Amino acid sequence: MGSICKTFGGIVSLNGVDMKIEKNSISALIGPNGSGKTTLFNIISGFFPPDSGHVLFKGEDITGLSPNRIALKGLMRTFQIPRLFHKMTVLENMFTAPKNQKGENLFHSLMNWKEVEKAEDQNLETANRILELLSIEHLANEWASNLSGGQKKLLELARILMADPEVILLDEPVAGVNPTLSNKIFESIIELRNRLNKTFLIVEHNMDVVLNYCDWIGVMHRGQIFTEGTPQEIIKNEEVTQIYFGVA
Amino acid sequence: MVLSFILDTLIYAGIFGILGISLNLEAGFTRLTNFGKVAFFAIGAYTTALLTLNGAPYIIGLIASVTLAAFAGFLISLPTLRLRADYFAIVTVTSGEILRVFLSSEEWLTQGFLGLAGIPRPLSNLFGENYLLFFTLLVFLYLFFCYLISRRIIYSPFGRVLKAIREDEIAAQSLGKDVFSFKAKSLIIGSGMAGMAGNLFAHHLTFISPDMFLPGITFSIWVIVVIGGMGNIAGPILGALLIETFERGMSFIKDYIIMPIEPLNFRIIVIGLLLIFFVLYRPDGILSEKKLEMSMEKLQRKRGKITD
Repeated sequence: MGSICKTFGGIVSLNGVDMKIEKNSISALIGPNGSGKTTLFNIISGFFPPDSGHVLFKGEDITGLSPNRIALKGLMRTFQIPRLFHKMTVLENMFTAPKNQKGENLFHSLMNWKEVEKAEDQNLETANRILELLSIEHLANEWASNLSGGQKKLLELARILMADPEVILLDEPVAGVNPTLSNKIFESIIELRNRLNKTFLIVEHNMDVVLNYCDWIGVMHRGQIFTEGTPQEIIKNEEVTQIYFGVA
Repeated sequence: MVLSFILDTLIYAGIFGILGISLNLEAGFTRLTNFGKVAFFAIGAYTTALLTLNGAPYIIGLIASVTLAAFAGFLISLPTLRLRADYFAIVTVTSGEILRVFLSSEEWLTQGFLGLAGIPRPLSNLFGENYLLFFTLLVFLYLFFCYLISRRIIYSPFGRVLKAIREDEIAAQSLGKDVFSFKAKSLIIGSGMAGMAGNLFAHHLTFISPDMFLPGITFSIWVIVVIGGMGNIAGPILGALLIETFERGMSFIKDYIIMPIEPLNFRIIVIGLLLIFFVLYRPDGILSEKKLEMSMEKLQRKRGKITD
């Protein structure tokens, strides 16, 4: 991805962001509020077009493609404030996620029910595994709207795991999630990376998990990647300490 | 006399049940605020009337009603589906009015305000005196068909995406769903069903004119769906039965009792109050949306049959 710029009215939100995410890595973006992390996510995932610059995914220019096309290519994101399907159960939320389901074709849904049902059973097994991993399997048949804030975050994570993209952008996946579970989530992220070769880009303010689990950290400040490096390098960087942690 | 009144009421309830099911698919499951439902209803009615009056067999009229109404749904979807719900409502309500003005002014085709009379009734020579009973059964057959289709759609992965779009379009997009295409399909199916209802309407009355397709029809369908239960597949059928029985009943009763208010106005007042009551105190309608429960135990027990 190169030289992304985005302005909203007079506000320069992103000012020439250059970054490269290695396949099979877990990268984190940190930075103060308003530094452009979420805007960057919106541009990568196609929700905003950039004013200039390009987003390359596996060597292919995906700038300006619609969000659903980008998602189908294997790059999906979650939202800072979870966007769930409220009047659908937890399982239904998850069932919606898999790409290109046969039953989403009207013809198959009406005429080829047997096969659709088989796929649904498979979905149920996958969904159940993921829910168990995130310890929310007891909520499987609950309306999504009845979940607590933290559970909603978990469900959104569960849903994106169900969708099974190659690259996963997570916007504050453990905000509002208790520490034990946050660690567990990041452990499963590592496991997913190791076992299934997923790539993660994560925006997160919880520095404990970021420092413990990520391979690379980019620090954003005023619309730019201000500095980057491994967790060890970042923690030693005095400027970062000043901008982000607020202590000299 | 009483029997034919009951059958007539049932026929109306059936026709409006079909319209309710189709609106429920669009508004209740996809959140398409279609306020131009009457247009597709009118297209269905006029199509079959013009064809059968010119000698085409009933079945051709039926197929054409459904196809043309569905095609109209497709045409409307092209410019409108990217609009927000409120603008979508405005555009659809005006499309309905435009169509009505078209029907009343293109006299070469529709005879304008005079309307089309003498629309043949299907298989009328076969049933003779029992015709009304046969037609009631026919209406309920179609209603049942539409119910089954909408049920299958809602419990399928396709319907799940429709519900996802209703709940959060952006999230649906972020999961790779082509929101526009799903909405268009929902509108096309809904319009096709409305065309089917129009077909029945024309053959039941044997006479149609543009002033039968006022926007009020659309609002009746909305009332039926809201009161019956938006998002419940059977809700609109119940709503149609209640509202139509009440409406027909009022026009029947007015010959027998004296009321301080004109019964037709009284009817509108009552329905208006009911609507307010439901929106405020029971926004889900009489039947609320059913939860689709699934569990591993059920799957293991039966290797998974999805139940409602």
